[in-house]
Amino acid sequence: MSARAVTRTAAKAARAEALTRAELEASAGSLAQGYALVPSRTLIVPDPVAWFALRPGDRILVAPGDPVTPGLGLAERQRDPRVEDGPPLAGATAAEHPLRPGDWWPGDGHESGGPLRRRRPRTPAGELLQPAGARWRIASGDHVDVLEAPAAGVVSEATPGRAIAVALAGRGLPAAFGVGTPTRGRLERISGEAGLRGALGVGRAGSVLVVDGRVDSESIIRARAMGVRGVVVSGLAGKDLRDLVASEGRQRASLQPLAAFAVLALEGTLRRPIPGPVAALLAALEGSEVALVVDPPMLVFDPPTPEPQRPPPGWVRVRAGELTGREGRWLRAAGVRRFAAGTHLEAAAIALEDGQVAVVPLADLERFT
Amino acid sequence: MFALDLGAATASAAIIGEIDGRRRLLASISVPAGVDADDLLVHLVSRFSAADPVLAADLGAGSDAVERWSRLVARSDPPPVLAVLASTVRERDALERIAGLAGWRTRGASLEADGPIELTRLALERGVRAIAVAAGEATSREEQAALVELAALTRGIAERNPGPQVLLVGALAAEAGSIPAGAAGDDPLFAPGPEAGEPAGLPLRRFLERLVPASSAGRRATPAAAVDLAAVLDRRVEVIDIGLDGGLRAVAGPEGLEGPAAFLPAAGLVPPELDDGVVDGVLAWSTVPLDRHRMHDRLRELRLAPWVEAHGEGALLRLSAARAALERLVRATPDLGALPAPDLVVVAGGAWAAAPGPAIALAVADVVRRPGASQLAFDHARLLGPIGSLGDAVGRRALLGELADDLLAPLGTVIIPQGLRAGRSAGRLVVRGPAGETELDLVPGGLQLVDLPPGQLATADLRFRDQVGLGTRGRHLSIEVGGGLGGLLVDLRDVPLRLPERAEPRRALLGAWQAAFWAGVAE
Repeated sequence: MSARAVTRTAAKAARAEALTRAELEASAGSLAQGYALVPSRTLIVPDPVAWFALRPGDRILVAPGDPVTPGLGLAERQRDPRVEDGPPLAGATAAEHPLRPGDWWPGDGHESGGPLRRRRPRTPAGELLQPAGARWRIASGDHVDVLEAPAAGVVSEATPGRAIAVALAGRGLPAAFGVGTPTRGRLERISGEAGLRGALGVGRAGSVLVVDGRVDSESIIRARAMGVRGVVVSGLAGKDLRDLVASEGRQRASLQPLAAFAVLALEGTLRRPIPGPVAALLAALEGSEVALVVDPPMLVFDPPTPEPQRPPPGWVRVRAGELTGREGRWLRAAGVRRFAAGTHLEAAAIALEDGQVAVVPLADLERFT
Repeated sequence: MFALDLGAATASAAIIGEIDGRRRLLASISVPAGVDADDLLVHLVSRFSAADPVLAADLGAGSDAVERWSRLVARSDPPPVLAVLASTVRERDALERIAGLAGWRTRGASLEADGPIELTRLALERGVRAIAVAAGEATSREEQAALVELAALTRGIAERNPGPQVLLVGALAAEAGSIPAGAAGDDPLFAPGPEAGEPAGLPLRRFLERLVPASSAGRRATPAAAVDLAAVLDRRVEVIDIGLDGGLRAVAGPEGLEGPAAFLPAAGLVPPELDDGVVDGVLAWSTVPLDRHRMHDRLRELRLAPWVEAHGEGALLRLSAARAALERLVRATPDLGALPAPDLVVVAGGAWAAAPGPAIALAVADVVRRPGASQLAFDHARLLGPIGSLGDAVGRRALLGELADDLLAPLGTVIIPQGLRAGRSAGRLVVRGPAGETELDLVPGGLQLVDLPPGQLATADLRFRDQVGLGTRGRHLSIEVGGGLGGLLVDLRDVPLRLPERAEPRRALLGAWQAAFWAGVAE
């Protein structure tokens, strides 16, 4: 829908509701009436904690309380873990250092208590699962990928087979969902209809690209191949997401080393403009180093100087419907109104950025906290 | 008094006040979830005061009412997660099915199909509240070896992850030996197998229901209210509740529940794990032309922000998703479906919140295909959960008795005969009510609607050419029917409903039926 058509719709809605701008302004003296009922989302998470999932067989390289810096190895992830026979349940080692499920078994040479020998290990290295007969069962494997810390922080939890949690220094910009491996890079913004496809080049290697235009799985895969570290988009369709995951699976199966790469979708699966306050924050971060984590999905950054202004009191954004993506100012709750398909919903009157007044379903609005 | 139903997608609040010695529902509101309860109540009180200042003054609904008035609160937390570890795929499926009916969201794996690494990974996942380990009786050496391995694996998991409660199901109980106690010092529990009991699996289901954490009790309060409602109305009542994170089905008579109530996370409006089965299920009911990819995206959006776009195409999509969720609920509860048609079906839950009453009636008639005649009503102010949470049984029944007329919005009566023969006419219907007589030809395969406003009672005389099933079998049947927003719906379509295989004609047919019940659907 064109901007003019949207404006017409907004104006029509305003007329239909018989609300004059003067009346609305008069009633908008305070924000008390109903603004608190607008669904809110968090703009900035002050002390983000990122989780890094592990599987049995992955080797943890850090301990709770350890400080981490960007690029430090957190764990070695097995690409294709398998079950092997491990050390014996009884013996010199077991007596001196009792083993427990979840412990890391470093491999042969230790079970007899003797020195390491130059021969094929009798038992490979791996994570102890459970006793089976006279020996331990372990989760082991041949090919590992190092999981690196995408940002500085302090390890708050490290549980074998489950996850590592890191309390990250910096702040987080939450996203709707994310896929891939935690990563970091220099933030660069891409806008315009050409989108990601038209902006790719070797100069983008090592960067995290924020795309406020067209994006598809092919261009994201191409970006990854060209050394881009991550892509932040407004919306990513499920089909593109599946293609991306399948491509990553194929890469993993090829046994080549995988570079960390992640995709964050800020809004969801449908394409919408990036909200103004988020776009302002990303603009302020351009050129600085940021990290992408996927659990929870978040862009992690050091606060820029000067910090971008937060949205003013009463700021609202339309999340769905004909006015999707439009931003404005809260005027007042408008009670239950009739909307498309004969539905009756709680409504609100808002003043759009161009001065037009629109009545929209309350649930279609959002605000940042 | 305030009643609050804080769901996963929407939050509802109501004011209940005493007028002439009787408690009445005075005002209600429903807004997106996440809103502070006090803010919601302040807004509701101010709106109530503006609408009826005299009554508000009488009741003392001033600015301090939010602090002063008591609250009945039902809060729906996400369903707890149960990791199901089994020796075989069959055992895993059986345990997952029963746990799913008991209100657990399950994640399962088996030694047979997945191996010990996957089982360990699953049991160690964040968010797992309990671990159920199941194995059948070992009848061969291989099965015995699997049993021993599963028991050793369980010991290993319990030792390294003492948080979740471990539950040993069936034959594993004897084999497990010493499983370490959990973090809270709780020893492993021993539960009957999925085949034990009459009907099979019932003892295990009851066992698992008792393990559900109290914090997840929002929807669990509703069956108590259903029992009281049945007693107050002296009717058999079925409650069907579809929310974002789960569905509930319960049938109650004046004597109590007629079968175990089913709490099914898989019957949520949009489950978090959106697989092709769920997407296809919604597509099968959709009147909006979307391919599978786009439907997947729309459902994912609905999951991310379930309150958004409850109008236009979004409203149609939501009702299709609600039908699909109800279908999953009905399919999982054949025992309740086999009971005679109840006198009253109460539809509840946020999934229906934005749909017009008649469209809700049609959606229920589309999916719950049970021969008989039932009145339909809608828990429009979402009061069943909060009232059910009232611990005092006598007080709860008294409150329901006073509020019964207010809390249920009548949707109408649905008559579904079974066994009609194809042809031009199956018989005649005469409806005699206060407004006079209405006579209709009964055409097999069609939906016939008779205007009968809320609050009116009428007698429907049905004369069929052949014997049909309508609770009992007969040719001449006379039924007392109640009016509602949808009037009297005589549903002469097949039982079970048969729809065209191809998407386009199916959409057209569903759209045509829906258009008759949904005023302004094409706006």
